[in-house]
Amino acid sequence: MIQFLMKKKQIYLFIISFVFSFNTVFSQVEDTESDSLRKQNKILNINKLRIGFDLSNPIISSSNDDNLSYEIVGDLQITDNLYLAAEFGSIDRFIEDENINFNSVGDYLKIGFDLNMFNNWVGMDNSIYIGLRYASSKFLNRVDSYTVRSSDTYFSNLVDNGYENITHNNLNGNWVEIVTGVKVETFKNIYFGISLRLNKLLSDTKPSNFDNLFIPGFNKVTDDNTWGSGFNYTLTYSIPFKKRK
Amino acid sequence: MLTITIGCEKDDICIEGSENTNRITIGFIDYENKNEIGISLNSIKGVGLDSIIEGFSGNNLKLPLMVNSNRTQYIFEHNETLDTVNIHHKTIHKYLNRSCGFISNFIIKSDTEISKNHGWIREVSILNDSIFNEEKTNILIHY
Repeated sequence: MIQFLMKKKQIYLFIISFVFSFNTVFSQVEDTESDSLRKQNKILNINKLRIGFDLSNPIISSSNDDNLSYEIVGDLQITDNLYLAAEFGSIDRFIEDENINFNSVGDYLKIGFDLNMFNNWVGMDNSIYIGLRYASSKFLNRVDSYTVRSSDTYFSNLVDNGYENITHNNLNGNWVEIVTGVKVETFKNIYFGISLRLNKLLSDTKPSNFDNLFIPGFNKVTDDNTWGSGFNYTLTYSIPFKKRK
Repeated sequence: MLTITIGCEKDDICIEGSENTNRITIGFIDYENKNEIGISLNSIKGVGLDSIIEGFSGNNLKLPLMVNSNRTQYIFEHNETLDTVNIHHKTIHKYLNRSCGFISNFIIKSDTEISKNHGWIREVSILNDSIFNEEKTNILIHY
């Protein structure tokens, strides 16, 4: 039930994000319809550095009564349409799974690039982009309680003390992400962004007599499947290196 | 897109036929001649629980052990007398996967014994101490 609500909440967050972002994109397009000049292309164009944070993680962690989770994001424009991009995050989440309740705590770093596919009019700086990341996470999973599989329920099968209620430390995960997203300049130098991520797990250290059901940054790991998904919803500030015309 | 991804997640249902927690198998033998004989129990009750397992009649009694303890105690009623058997066991939990979680295996310890109440049970002996399946008889109750 709680899991279902969590999913529902994520879905709502998404719909809201989408509606909001696209409204802003279209309203800006209308505003500048008359302007028909385009930016000139240059090969190297180190123009701006954007730094910001993800809004969804603090919301999720506070509504779940977890310790604060956060993600700091940044990207550096290197050519007209190419950006170096990175995210650093710290997650502490209590997960109530089918049979096992556990805490997943760890940090992750994602590094890669974004390629803007959106042609801006002069003076505008929105983007619809695709990107790639290489990501790595160092984390621990602490088993809090679990229900032992048994066809007999005469005795309680809940285990909340001792046995496998242990902390699996020093775990690592490495994966790649295919990113797609939008960034919209809502106020001067302030951008709202949303990105969706398809993750492919490359390797992870398996704890003994348990499994990595969740990896901070990668999110849910499913049985017999190395694919995962994620999203973020960012607010970034752009530090311009050159004055915009 | 996320909605679709969530919708396509593998069902979190433990496949039927996956390993499961096994029960202890108890056999009954005649104390005098050590021949296997059937028994008729009026009731079986786990110590600490209010609910009673229905009566039993036959040769091999299969009962669950406590997965969150190293001791399971059962009170057996036979011919209107009660006797308590203390089964001491090592409880080992084994992880299967996300959808099935953990199962429990047990190893019966040698200090498994009867608490003499009225004494219809004369002796308890261990035949196969490890419970990894339900095919073998684990302990014998002599009466």
